[in-house]
This record gives sequence, C-alpha cells and structure tokens, in this order.
Amino acid sequence: MHDENKKGRSFADIIRFILQEMKPRGKFLTPFNVISIVVIIAGVIILTVRFIYGLGSVSNLNQEYPWGLWKGFNVITGVAFAGGAYVLTFVVYVMGVEKYHSIVRVTVLNGLLAYIFYAGALILDLGRPWNIINPIIGNDFGYNSVLFLVAWHFMLYMIAEFIEFSPVAAEWLNLEKAKKVLQMLTLGAVIFGITLSSLHQSGLGALFLMAKSKIHPLWYTEFIPLLFLVSSIFAGISMVIFEGTISHRVFREQIGPDGKSSFDQIVFGLAKGAAIAMFVYYFFKLLVFIHEHHWQHIHGFWGFWYLFEIIGLVLVPCFLFAYGARHRIIGVIRIAAILTLIGIIVNRLNISMIAYNWNVVDRYYPSWMEYVVSFTVIFAEIWVFRWIVTRMPVYEKHTKPAMA
Amino acid sequence: MNRRGFLKLAGTVGATLAAKKAKARDNDDEKEEFVGVLTDTTRCIGCRTCEVACAEAHGLPVPDVQNDGALEAERRTSDTQWTVVNRYETDEGDVFVKKQCMHCWQPGCTAACLTNAMYKTHAGPVIWRSDKCMGCRYCMISCPFEIPKFEYDSWNPKIHKCNMCWERLQEGQKPACVDACPTDALMFGRKRELMEVARVRIYNHPQKYVHQVYGEHEVGGTGWLYLSSVPFEQLGFRTDLGTTPYPDYTREFLYAVPVVLFAVPAFLLGLRFLSENEEELEEGESHA
Amino acid sequence: MESYTYVNIFETKGLEYLLLICFLVLFIFLVRYLASPLPAKEQAGKE
Ligand code: SF4
Ligand code: SF4
Repeated sequence: MHDENKKGRSFADIIRFILQEMKPRGKFLTPFNVISIVVIIAGVIILTVRFIYGLGSVSNLNQEYPWGLWKGFNVITGVAFAGGAYVLTFVVYVMGVEKYHSIVRVTVLNGLLAYIFYAGALILDLGRPWNIINPIIGNDFGYNSVLFLVAWHFMLYMIAEFIEFSPVAAEWLNLEKAKKVLQMLTLGAVIFGITLSSLHQSGLGALFLMAKSKIHPLWYTEFIPLLFLVSSIFAGISMVIFEGTISHRVFREQIGPDGKSSFDQIVFGLAKGAAIAMFVYYFFKLLVFIHEHHWQHIHGFWGFWYLFEIIGLVLVPCFLFAYGARHRIIGVIRIAAILTLIGIIVNRLNISMIAYNWNVVDRYYPSWMEYVVSFTVIFAEIWVFRWIVTRMPVYEKHTKPAMA
Repeated sequence: MNRRGFLKLAGTVGATLAAKKAKARDNDDEKEEFVGVLTDTTRCIGCRTCEVACAEAHGLPVPDVQNDGALEAERRTSDTQWTVVNRYETDEGDVFVKKQCMHCWQPGCTAACLTNAMYKTHAGPVIWRSDKCMGCRYCMISCPFEIPKFEYDSWNPKIHKCNMCWERLQEGQKPACVDACPTDALMFGRKRELMEVARVRIYNHPQKYVHQVYGEHEVGGTGWLYLSSVPFEQLGFRTDLGTTPYPDYTREFLYAVPVVLFAVPAFLLGLRFLSENEEELEEGESHA
Repeated sequence: MESYTYVNIFETKGLEYLLLICFLVLFIFLVRYLASPLPAKEQAGKE
C-alpha cells in the first residue's frame, strides 16, 4: 500500500506537505507564547544592534572578560546539558538496555537542537563571524588549538545527531525506503557521536587549561577536561529528567497514559545512574583538592563558594538521587535534578566567568541585553522543539503516518 | 622535544634541503634564532617616546605625552595602545616600565588560535593576521600576560597587540620603539646576544640589578626581556607564571584526541556485540 | 626561580591513595544501597 502511495508522490508534494505543516496548531495566545515572543523580538533587535555597532554596544564584555554569558552559559553550560543524548544512546544502542528506548528519540532531538542553537550562540559571540569558515576550509587549520577541535566536533556531532534523528523525520514524511537506509546508519552515527561527545565535552573544559593564571586556584586544575566529561553525564541525565517532567505535562496527548507510568520507571533508573556518576565526580573533586593542595585556599568568600558548589550542589543532590531512587519518590528526584542543573550552571560559570579573573577590581556582570539574548536562544529552541514534537512521531513509536 | 618541534619534524628535512637551494625564499621555512628586545628599566626615564613612535608606526591615536597625565595610574595595553609605560613607586624610587606583548617563545595565544591568525613567525615576533581571525577572543583567554585586546565597539573588530614592528623588521629596520628611545633603555637583537648583554650588565653592577632577567625562563622564555633594580613583583610583573610554556598545558589533551578517536569507537562496537546476541542485534536495528 | 629548589610532585600521593580506599568502601555501600529491594513496608504503599 505504501508503495503505491509513494509512486504518486513527487518532491513537490513533500515540500507542499512541509509548508502546510508550518502552520501553528492549537491555542496561540498562551502565557508562554506571549512571553517568549516578546523576548525573541527584543533579542532580534538587540542582535541587530550588536552586528552594526559591535559587541560592546549590547554586552558588558571587556578586555578582562573576553568571554561572558553567551559563551559561558549558552555554549558551555548548554552543551553539558545536551550530554543526555550521548549517555542515552550509549545505554540503549551500545549496551542494549531496551527500557530506555522510548525516550531516546526525544533526547536525541533535544541534543540536536541544543547543538544547533548553542553553536549558533557561539556565532553570535564571534567578532568576525564571516570568518568562521576559515578553520573549516583551511585558512588556516589551527590544529594546535583546543577550540579548533571543539568547533570541528560540534559540526561533526551535529551531523551524527541529525542522522540519529533522521529516521523520525523520514517516518513523518512517510518515506519508508529512506527510513530503512537511515536506520542502517544509526549504529554508526551513535558510536561516532559518543566518541565525539566524550572529546568535546572534555574539550570545553580543556579550553580553559591555558587560563591558568586567571582562574581561581580552587577551580583551575589540569583535570578540568575529565571533570567536565564526568559532570556532563549527570548534567545530561538531570536534563532528561527535568525536560521529561515538563514534557509530560505539556505534551500529554502525544505521550499517552502508559507513557507516563513507564517514564516514572525510567526516571528511577536514571536517578541511580546520576547518583553513581555524581558520587564518582565528588571524589574526583576531592582527589584534585588533595593533589593540588587546595586546603590552603579554603577561606573567605571563594572558599565558601567552592564548598557550596561541591557539597550543596553535588553531594546533596547525589544523596537525594540515591534516596529518591531507593524509596521510589519521584518528587525527591525532581528536586535533585533541579539542584544538579543549578550546580552545573554554577560550575561552568565559575570557570568561565565568576572565578575567572577573580581578583580583578572591575568585575563583569552581564548586561540585561545579554540575558535577553540568552533567553532568546533558549526560547527559539523550545519553539522549534515544540513544532517538531507536535508533528513528528517523537514520542510514539508506531503512529499513523502524518502524510499518507 | 617540544610540540612545535614535533609537528615540524616531518617538514624539517625537506625544508633544510629546499633552503639550501633557494635561500630565504620564504622566511618561515628557515630555522632562525629568535629576535627580541631587552628593556633595561634602570635606564628608562618615563618619557613615553616609545608610545608615540609605536602609535605613529601603526596608525593608532598618538598620545599627548606632555599633558595627558597618564603616568598617574597603572595602565594596561588597549585596543588603541600597543605599548604603555607605567610608573611604579619602589624602594629605589620611581621606576618606569614599558609594557607590551612579550613575544613568548611558545605563545599561549598562537596555540589557542583556531585559524592561526595569531601567528609566531620563525624570526620571533608574534603577529596577528586580519584575514584569518574570526574574533573568538580565545587568544585573550590564553595569553598569560593578557596582551591581545579586542575592539568591542566595531562591527568588524580587530585584535590589537604589539607585533614587534614585523613590517619594519622585514625591511631590515629595528622596531620603532627601539629606534625612538633616547636613553637606549631598549635594545634589539637575537635573544642569545641579549641574554649575554643582560648578564654582563648584572655582573658588572651586582649591586644595581636584581639577579634575574625577567623573560629568560618565564612561560618557557619570552622574546622581550627585562632588567630591573627592584624585585619584579614591585613593578607589576607576574612572578607566579612558572616556566612551563603555556601550550604545554593543553598538550596532553590534544595528544589524547587521536588515541580516543582510534580506540573508543572500536571499544563501543565491541561492547555492542557483547551486549546482544545475533538475533537481538538484527531486531534492535529494525526498530531503532 | 622555582627551578632552584626541590619540588616533590608526589607529595600528596599517600593521601590520595587513602582517599581512594575510602572511596571504594563508600562506593560499595552506595551501590548496595541502590541495588537493595524496596523495604516491604513501602512496597505495599507503592503498589
Ligand atoms: S605575551 Fe601574550 S600575546 Fe604576546 S606572545 Fe605571549 S601569549 Fe601571545
Ligand atoms: S580572536 Fe582571532 S586571533 Fe584570537 S584566537 Fe580567535 S581567531 Fe585567533
């Protein structure tokens, strides 16, 4: 039956179908829509100003703080949050744990969008963005640069994620043959993607290795790359839990009643994984603490701030995850996930902004316009996410094809 | 063997042969000893002629040295000043220090640059090339001396930093500041010669100088060297930077990259085969 | 100037190994805690 259908369909039909799907669905004037549209419009205006008058006209970046909120939060923290995609594809496709299969699609979609938008945020931050092709076309290849590595990996990983997600899009367009072909590529893309992820998650940390003289000694260590990698595991898991919790409210129709109960089971499993990863991370931090004689820095504001980060935002959520998983209390796990996400934000911002040039008198505080642009990026991502989820079979495995 | 040396290893043999045939065809194919500048702060009188010469040589706003009172506060280089002279009150009275890019032997900034816009010429000066730079400002993060400066108020921003007058050096001239200095506080030459001069001065006047040449070993050695009569901490120098070249801090990570790319995919594939038997494997793929 | 004095880069190794032993012991407890079945009392509540 499908075959007959397909013969009758030309490329133009597919385009027409996509255009028709572009139309918004459902109620339009929801609080979220209103707020996000206002923010996005403001963000676009600010960005226009930024590209005409330079970065200084909208941001508080200065010579002491060359990287601010856009890089520290959107790129570096955002990519850590997107770590869920490689963790889950590893568990499902490599370890073959079927239990988590139902959330792979949405997690991969989240990862893909996160990379598209956060790498996009990187471009907003570049002073001369038109030269971004230089490291790609070889004018010049700065192989000696960690950023070179990270940039290439972002690009390649986006391709891998796209391949991982593409069967869903093919299903949506009812392209059975294409879907078959794309599915064969999945395992390759997954393996490639995990490898790339491990390198660029740690690479984001390695970016700061040469900022040795600037980052507060409590945060600077030669192990930053490894710490970033380990923390991206539970950052990703927490994001999956957090995002899943919201999605299960918002996209109730797509998910259906049995999706809900199985998701709770999934959350308990994820919480165990997160607890173990965080426990390891915590001891890793302690090891660095001893190895680099950090006790001599534990005093004053920075000592307090450091202890707050590793105890309040790592150890405590670690125990909450364990407790919630053991006693099957979903509320505790949600709190743990939120604490963990805050902890990751604090950690990444510490290294890129807060404890960076900590002894400079004129500290950098992002301007309100930088915040607006940061939120613009996030809201834009949510819009695209919602558009895809309400159209493509992201949550259900077997649906009636939208286009018959 | 250092990283730069390692990367160049393959090219070296061919390059030396080629260099013999066509001498100085391209400066960068040759092995040269680095040039640098020795700053003797005991000779500096704070006249800021070097600032003026630098600004004129590079088309930057020329400071009004008589009236701008710039010596009152400590300044940093900026996107309009590639070099600045600061005054420090010390045990030995006022000391003036000229500040600019140190032209590190193994610079953090060039190792950071993903387009090689920040570039270490083989003669020693570190230069910036506008056609390559994408404005990521990673060089600013990675420079231990916080020298590269960015034009935040331009739609087409440039990175500003001292280039040791690379355009003048290519014509066989000395850097503009060295030529302009009325007291010979600045001396241009190959680092080996400059170190000899510096040691001779310390040896002849052991009371006058502290027995250290700043830049001899700092961050793996720099092209710009300083002599001083007071400990360098008192002159706004960072003495906690260590002697490790900055690119070394990322070396292990970058070395690990190909290893990871070789090993991890194979390892993952192995895990995948271990975790499922044949039938499941096929089934798993069909409803992926 | 640091090159003129002795720097022992393995100074804290002993402490690090001690930490490792603590970690392994605690880790066993954590894993056992996570892997143990739900207490019967709560089990009843959840079903
Ligand atoms: S001082 Fe900074 S800008 Fe100059 S060569 Fe060294 S790392 Fe580069
Ligand atoms: S700002 Fe320009 S010169 Fe500096 S690292 Fe980026 S591309 Fe290289």
